[in-house]
Amino acid sequence: MILSRMENVVFGYEDKPVIDGVSLDIDVGEFVGITGPNGAAKTTLLKLLLGLLKPWSGSVSINEEVLVEGRLNVGYVPQQVAAFNSGFPSRVLELVKSGCYPRLGLFRRFGPEEKQLVERSLKQVGMWEHRHRKIGELSGGQKQRICIARALAGQPGVLVLDEPTTGMDRQSRQGFYQLMRHMADQHGLTVIMVTHGPEETETYLDRLVSLEQQESEEWQCLTTRSCSVRYGPVC
Amino acid sequence: MAMFDYTFMQRALWAGVLIGSIAPVIGVYLMLRRQALMADTLSHVSLAGVALGAVMGWNPAMAGFGAAILGGLLIEQLRRSYRAYSEMPVAIVMTSGLALAVVLMGLRSSLSQSFSSYLFGSIVAVSDTQLGLMAGVALVGAVYFTVLRRPLYSLTFDEETARIGGIPVRWLSLSFAVFTGMAVAAAIPVVGVLLVSSLIVLPASLALRLARGFAAAIAISIAAGLTGIFSGLTASYYLDMPPGGTIALILLLLLLIGISVQKVRSGLVRRNGRSVNRVARSNAEFMKRPAKEGENLSME
Repeated sequence: MILSRMENVVFGYEDKPVIDGVSLDIDVGEFVGITGPNGAAKTTLLKLLLGLLKPWSGSVSINEEVLVEGRLNVGYVPQQVAAFNSGFPSRVLELVKSGCYPRLGLFRRFGPEEKQLVERSLKQVGMWEHRHRKIGELSGGQKQRICIARALAGQPGVLVLDEPTTGMDRQSRQGFYQLMRHMADQHGLTVIMVTHGPEETETYLDRLVSLEQQESEEWQCLTTRSCSVRYGPVC
Repeated sequence: MAMFDYTFMQRALWAGVLIGSIAPVIGVYLMLRRQALMADTLSHVSLAGVALGAVMGWNPAMAGFGAAILGGLLIEQLRRSYRAYSEMPVAIVMTSGLALAVVLMGLRSSLSQSFSSYLFGSIVAVSDTQLGLMAGVALVGAVYFTVLRRPLYSLTFDEETARIGGIPVRWLSLSFAVFTGMAVAAAIPVVGVLLVSSLIVLPASLALRLARGFAAAIAISIAAGLTGIFSGLTASYYLDMPPGGTIALILLLLLLIGISVQKVRSGLVRRNGRSVNRVARSNAEFMKRPAKEGENLSME
């Protein structure tokens, strides 16, 4: 089942197009990587997929069957969180709990189910032992991991990660890719991840989308490459 | 306390409690959103509103209140246009507000004298209208920050993630700007236009230094704000000093004490850490040395 469809999308900043004629389908339960050199508009592509940016032309549509209460439940882990630089006053547990806020709304109390979700997601990223620490005291890789735990605590239908393994050591990166593979296989979670290390992730991904530069210097689609035998030959 | 035998001091205390429990909370959010100068800016805009009210024959306090709200909305709108330069909207609105106030005050030079109470504050001369306004703002603030604490937390942590999580970021930011305008305008009688940001920024600065959690930061900021206002009011009564400046100086003193205590505490933790490491190192060295005859080096 298709989750999101992007057709002939053109988008740019000021007068200059940076993405030109991109078409891309994302399936439910797929683990997709987006790669390309610096400045290849990878984050822009993510934002277009999420509907955060409106394309100049072309269309982006979300399958209505996957919407919950009229919206797509997205867990997002940005490239950089500005709050980490400003000494945001929170403990790890408090921050990860806030991942449950969208499902709790304004007034519903934090119940045993949410408690379990928070505990599970912190254990999944290996940060349970650090739950009482202030987030400012953590290393870059640990901060990234609690952001992932926060996104998982919201039980998202789609997890969107913008270079999530920045600052993580090799072992943590491998553990993280395995976790995402497991979430896609066992829980039907769709994972879209911008990555700079395609060679490291290929074993785990279903598909790798590569942004390539045209002669006119605009970034255009894309070679999409199936990375898993389940999806058949290279497209 | 004898000073509270006087009605004007009772009113001053009420004004302090009302503003002292809401302004520091705004400060925590403003500082985390890197908008620390917003309070200063809105107070200058509010002054322009007061001047406009005086020139047009409107109630100056209400005109200042309205101008501060409009200023908040304007900053929020400009923030969207200048995403890459977040401090630029604040600078634009601040200079515009001050310039407008100066020009308007020049039109009615006879009124310049009465502006001193707006510039420097006069908590002991708070009127019924001003006290009512403060009570209204404190009530709205209590409801606003209680009901919207979850979306505000998410918004303050990361705007982009909040937007993707379904939070109406634009409306929330706008409502926050409007409420900040209201609170700044209501706080002006306490410490004046020139010092209003001290009530907002200084307690929040202390709280962000000391707190380990978000709720603790809010609680510490309120406690610091109320302590500063109450002590400042008392000191100004007994030592015959201007209340606005005294309150601001006491808040500054609290901040300096907080910073010093934190530095001493960190120094002690580091020293203890070093001594623990020294013990660990000497233990490790002891364990590594060759065992003497008959000595068991096993930890069990």
